[in-house]
Amino acid sequence: MIVAWRFRKREKSLIQWFDPRAWIIFYLCFLFSTLASWDIRFLLPFFLISIIVLLTSGVTWHEMRRAFLFIVGFVFFFSILTFLTGRGGTEVYKTEHLIRQFKASFSILGWTPTLDITVERAWFGVCQFVRVFSIAVMTILIPYSLDPALYGITFKGLRLPDNIAYAMDLTMRFIPTFGRDFQLTMDAQRARGYELEKISGGLIEQVRKLGPLMVPVTIHAIMGSEDIIDAMDLRAFGVGVRTWLDQLTYHRRDRILVAFGVFLLVGSLVVGFLGYGKFWVPPELLRLAGG
Amino acid sequence: MPEAPLIVEKLSFRYRDRQGLAIDHISFAANPGEILLIAGASGCGKTTLIRCINGLIPRSYKGELSGRVLVFGEDTSTWKLSQISQKIGTVLQDPERQILGTRVLNEVAFGLENLGMPRQEIFKRVDETLSYLSISHLRDRETFNLSGGEKQMVALAGVLAMRPSILLLDEPLASLDPASARDTLDTVRALADGGMTVLLIEHRVEDVLRIRPERVMFMTDGQVRYLGNLPGLSKVVNYREVKLPAEDIIERAKADPPPAEIKILPGAASVKSGNEALVRFENVGFGYEPETEVLHGINLEVKRGDVIAVLGPNGAGKTTFVKHAIGLLKPKSGRVFVNGVDTKESSVAQIASTLGYVFQSPSHMLFAPTVREELAFGPSNLKHPKDQIEQEVKAALRIVNLSDKEKDPPLALSFGQQKRVSIAAVLAMRSRILVMDEPTAGQDYQNYMNFMDSILQLPGFEAILFITHDVDLAVIYANRVLLIADGRLMADGKPQDVLRDFDRLKACHLVPSSLLALNLKRLPQTGRFLRAEALAHI
Repeated sequence: MIVAWRFRKREKSLIQWFDPRAWIIFYLCFLFSTLASWDIRFLLPFFLISIIVLLTSGVTWHEMRRAFLFIVGFVFFFSILTFLTGRGGTEVYKTEHLIRQFKASFSILGWTPTLDITVERAWFGVCQFVRVFSIAVMTILIPYSLDPALYGITFKGLRLPDNIAYAMDLTMRFIPTFGRDFQLTMDAQRARGYELEKISGGLIEQVRKLGPLMVPVTIHAIMGSEDIIDAMDLRAFGVGVRTWLDQLTYHRRDRILVAFGVFLLVGSLVVGFLGYGKFWVPPELLRLAGG
Repeated sequence: MPEAPLIVEKLSFRYRDRQGLAIDHISFAANPGEILLIAGASGCGKTTLIRCINGLIPRSYKGELSGRVLVFGEDTSTWKLSQISQKIGTVLQDPERQILGTRVLNEVAFGLENLGMPRQEIFKRVDETLSYLSISHLRDRETFNLSGGEKQMVALAGVLAMRPSILLLDEPLASLDPASARDTLDTVRALADGGMTVLLIEHRVEDVLRIRPERVMFMTDGQVRYLGNLPGLSKVVNYREVKLPAEDIIERAKADPPPAEIKILPGAASVKSGNEALVRFENVGFGYEPETEVLHGINLEVKRGDVIAVLGPNGAGKTTFVKHAIGLLKPKSGRVFVNGVDTKESSVAQIASTLGYVFQSPSHMLFAPTVREELAFGPSNLKHPKDQIEQEVKAALRIVNLSDKEKDPPLALSFGQQKRVSIAAVLAMRSRILVMDEPTAGQDYQNYMNFMDSILQLPGFEAILFITHDVDLAVIYANRVLLIADGRLMADGKPQDVLRDFDRLKACHLVPSSLLALNLKRLPQTGRFLRAEALAHI
């Protein structure tokens, strides 16, 4: 069965106060505006917006704890990884100011592992965290806040054709369904003595040993989609223009939200066009490094 | 006389990727107000026939099709699926596979939305349909949170809202508890009495007989072996092939020799160690969410020699209960001990060597390229020696009657065969306790009775526990019955003690069967519950 995200109506939820179409448009504007900049002076307002939305969402800590900790951990891990390797940031800065260098006391085939801590690397890690965290927070709030029964009409309301709108509806619900099926398969294989945490061997061997999990989950997803297609076909889906039972109505607040989103996006693009919004390091930090 | 709503003429079909015909020259006509029960073993072609009638064949399933399906005299081969779906409604075996909407209202309206009906008309039809099925109270509920019986009624409502003249039901009772199954059947009878033509595929023939289907079609190997009235069925069909009322079986089994006595759990008797509990639940409470508890204060012990049937309504907490025994779930309060060790201190893999668990759906576990490799997976994980694994695999295949499928890919087998592979996969692990969740669901009578007989006679098991909706399975095989309702253990005892309280059975959504009634009547003579074939000789 297709599973829905854990949505419920919430008292005083800012997101739920708006029409879902307006929120999706605002979210997309927010997403592209945030992605348009590496300057923390531009990113901080977006970070602030995401925190406000989070705190006014009505989603309790208990509900989102697991997803939130996973996302924060994921973002933090990759920010640290970027900082340590120096990869990723080299596209937005050319020169680096060294704060400290750590050299290993050994060499491998003539190469000595070295960690350069530079102002740019450290600051890039901070910017990356702020940027991705803002987007992640705005994204994970959507499934908790948008009514799954309205997914289809929301996408239809965004001028997508019936088939695409319903496909988007099913896609949104595929993720929790996949998660449920994965857990069922995991349980079934664990009951046969399979221990994922004890998988050993080389990379190919490890991938091969994931077969007992991946094969049933994949097959189940394919079978599930065939069932869905049969069930849709048997009830005349896709034969003509569809009536959508639910209706959405724009209010004044929704128009204001959309206008605000568009303002953010256009503003970010204009700022970028004028040459602002690029990676920026506070001069005080450069001075600390003797720059 | 007006033309029959449905006429099938010399219908044959072979799936593109399979050898042999799935159905072979099938012809019949179905009349208004008639329920035509279609029975037969798993893989006999029942579902293929339904797919040919509802148009999924050849539109979704490709292959060689010949013959004709006429609906109100018109050949449907040139119709679009949308045209067919307005005349022929189909309810699939598992309502979970059919429900698309997140809310009941959206689910029931789905077909009408697709037909582009005006919104007001859709609301009117949805409300009428829900009211007709007496489920108006579910209108604004989320489909995910419905019970199995409620889901089936909602799936039916989604089809009926399109006002078909012909209704196809493919094993609609497979996942329902007896009370929900009875309600569904009563609804089907009412629909037929209202003039609808109903084709009903069902293994649970005895249950369907209660609503007096006008005719029965019995299929074997893609062909019609019998098509006629009800009394004629028991004359042409072996009582071991179809589940008939106990009285009928007794009448016919009198002429046969008495059934061989089954030696239940021979392995349990041979173990000399003491009478300590294999599994012990101590005041176990559990909830998936902190605010809602699914299990409340469960206390029980599973001992050597126990064959336990766990009965109760859909959503009562039966699966949650057994998942605690295997360690997949840990109690929020209380403790569970397996072999004297707290499950909180053992891994699931460690527990698996003591307790083998067969899941309800085989598709969640089958992955290997051959049946043999599938069966060797569990024993390999438990580090059994290689030559022992060979023996375990062969023995398990023999028990489930799949020795000829050893080299076949399990995922290419029929659902019933996949189910047997999943059971064999756990049998091969030779765990001391076997736990099965709905072992007979989706399987035909003869097959599941054969493998239940085989499983209970296996030398390796010391106890067996199975969840079932089939009261007769508890009557025939269990020496202990647990009734679970609303996450509480309502009763725990011998079948003859627990199942005699019909009020309690009713409260647990169970319906006394003819076999149970006969056994209770003859209990002073027999001293224990027996299968119908054995009662015939007493």
